[in-house]
Amino acid sequence: MLMRWILAMLLLLSCAARAGEPELLEPEKAFRFSARLLDANQIEVRYEIAPGYYMYRNKFRFSAEPADIALDASNLPPGKIKKDEFFGEVQIYRGDMRFVLPLTIAGESVPRFTLKAVSQGCADLGVCYPPLEQKAEITRVAFSSAPADTGISPFLRPAPGAQAPAAAPRGKLQSEDTLIAELFKGGFGALVLSFFGFGLLLALTPCVFPMIPILSSILVPHGEHLTHTRGFALSLIYVLGMAITYALAGVAAGLLGTLLSSALQNPWVLSGFAMVFVLLALSMFGFYELQLPSALQSRLAVTTNKLHGGHFASVFVMGVLSALIVGPCVAAPLAGALLYISQSGNGVLGGSALFAMALGMGVPLLVVGASAGALLPKAGPWMETVKRFFGVVLLGVAIYLVSPLLPAVVYMLALAALLIIFAIYLHALDPLPHGAPGYRKLFKAVGVISLLAGVALLIGVFSGSRDVLQPLAGLRGAAAPAAQPPLFQRVSNLSQLEAAIRTAAGKPVLLDFYADWCVTCKEMEAFTFTDAGVRKRLDEMLKLQVDVTENLDEHKALLKRFGLFGPPGIVFFDRPGNEIKGLRVIGFQPADQFAATLDLVMSH
Amino acid sequence: MKHVLTRPLRALLICALAVLFAGTGLLFYQWRAGAFGDRLPDPEAAGQMVLAAKLLGLDDKPQALEQWRGKVLVVNFWATWCAPCREEIPGFIKFQDQYGPRGVQFVGIAIDQKERVGPYARDIGINYPVLVGGLESMDFARQVGNLRSVLPFTLVLDRNGKVVTTEIGVLKLGKLESLLKPLL
Repeated sequence: MLMRWILAMLLLLSCAARAGEPELLEPEKAFRFSARLLDANQIEVRYEIAPGYYMYRNKFRFSAEPADIALDASNLPPGKIKKDEFFGEVQIYRGDMRFVLPLTIAGESVPRFTLKAVSQGCADLGVCYPPLEQKAEITRVAFSSAPADTGISPFLRPAPGAQAPAAAPRGKLQSEDTLIAELFKGGFGALVLSFFGFGLLLALTPCVFPMIPILSSILVPHGEHLTHTRGFALSLIYVLGMAITYALAGVAAGLLGTLLSSALQNPWVLSGFAMVFVLLALSMFGFYELQLPSALQSRLAVTTNKLHGGHFASVFVMGVLSALIVGPCVAAPLAGALLYISQSGNGVLGGSALFAMALGMGVPLLVVGASAGALLPKAGPWMETVKRFFGVVLLGVAIYLVSPLLPAVVYMLALAALLIIFAIYLHALDPLPHGAPGYRKLFKAVGVISLLAGVALLIGVFSGSRDVLQPLAGLRGAAAPAAQPPLFQRVSNLSQLEAAIRTAAGKPVLLDFYADWCVTCKEMEAFTFTDAGVRKRLDEMLKLQVDVTENLDEHKALLKRFGLFGPPGIVFFDRPGNEIKGLRVIGFQPADQFAATLDLVMSH
Repeated sequence: MKHVLTRPLRALLICALAVLFAGTGLLFYQWRAGAFGDRLPDPEAAGQMVLAAKLLGLDDKPQALEQWRGKVLVVNFWATWCAPCREEIPGFIKFQDQYGPRGVQFVGIAIDQKERVGPYARDIGINYPVLVGGLESMDFARQVGNLRSVLPFTLVLDRNGKVVTTEIGVLKLGKLESLLKPLL
């Protein structure tokens, strides 16, 4: 009965999904572009082409800004042949496409540059996209012969044009890479030592939390019989298992090159590990107990009793598995480390460095082990609170892991949900009993803060904000014009326009054609007119706007007068009131470009 | 803690989660498909915009779409680099011959370079006006209903200048015929 109901629901949902136009992706999503520096002379360009979409091999154009960097795109890999009755045989790319662009640099000091890629592709559904321009910022300080001063990061973040600003965690990722880059300046010993310290730092991050319940499940069965030596030995074996796994990753990175670090940043791998974290978190919330099946458990116990070393082996394996679980959590710093190791091409160095890092991460676990379980949390109602706290933290880690893959909206919604759940677990909405102890008040205060932050994010995301750090900026923007005079003076017909221009009193005049349905107009409003530099220049002009949403006859007459077919269109008049013909703005202009246009208007 | 969740309660929880995930998925899907983004202009306004457009012809002379007001107008956005666009053009040529005398007018707007459009139009024998627009014409196409800015994109306007249909992707001749017949 229940199953049937669910089936019916699913059927309904899939029908709803299928209605309407062919589902076409935005070009940026159909042809996901990224690029990164492989070494001083090569860029790896990557296009993740959505299934059912393809790109033309002969339509790629790459250029760099500043222009003293030359890119060689003459050796693109061969594509699949596609018959085309007009152009003959053309080569196309599908799927995950990577290729290397050699670059030559004329000037010595080009710390960073913008890679501009123009491409053209189509969908199998039978449509094509117009030429698409995408950009990526590339920083190459780390590879220059001169000592690096600031901002060392071989990673680059794709600069997604007018899309939402990069989410906050990416900035963090960069700083971690930077940290590792600094580490590599020392000699071998210093390097290994610093990696040990780096591991210690990582031990303070939530990444180690999932290991604590695992370790406790190893130690607790020994109960009273657990001596300090044995506890230490067990946890040492566990940590060694973890460390050797990392060391192998290090050696592999040293020998394999960049393959590994890009594997760690593969969306599927990241999503998979985020799932693991969600599952771990759910167990922390008490939805189920993380346990081996009882049959396996009892067999394990028998083996352990029979064979002493057997237990150590299983603990070792646990360590290996834990490294795999925790690996992606430290993926950002790890990827940075692996990248540099891979450039050194030195397997021994890579292995030792990562081994030391894992040992550092394991220090707190060793301490717990040596205390023979004394430091392990004792069961009790407060344990539940701690477990829930860990649960929230684990969910946070899951979101952090996949944050580079999520659109800003989803990322903000997830964060908001997390903050609110956290607040509820801290009893933010429950009344404090009279004479409650201080820590409960503190918890409640933290809970309320978290609740407010979560609510602010929710309100922000629903009011159109895509900025995690300024979720309510949109509201401020919406409230401000009510207090301030509106930016534009409205005109609705030719005679009003002429009258307005006469009152301009020697100021240049800007006339903006606007309509509610005009996406570009909204973009100009949101991104360009809000810019401080643009505002300053606009202050010295008379700003008129025609709202042609209703498309009345007088609107048509105005459009016709200026030979426009509709918004967007911005027309300028010089100080005597004549139109400046060459400076019209049709379509979107970013703030800096628009400011430059305004400067031209002023100097006219 | 694990005894709190009885079996039916757990089943219910799983169902609730499943529905929640399915719902979120659907919303996300629609959001990706742009359902919450751009809004289509109404057919009258879009039609007015189309008729108000002015573009250069292959002979470099400006042409206003206004000149075809009163006809059943089929406006086709295309480009030579777009294989599916070229696929449908022979059909349009045939229909221009067949329905032209009954008041149907095809107009091609090529998002392309004139140097490529001219020879192509000659080779294939396009018998209706071809205008040339740059990439900014795609903005225009977006405003009149081409939300993903793709090619080919075809609009059909009735004799009153109202947009009757917009088609993204190849417009099948059978469908076009059934669209045109009631408008003649």
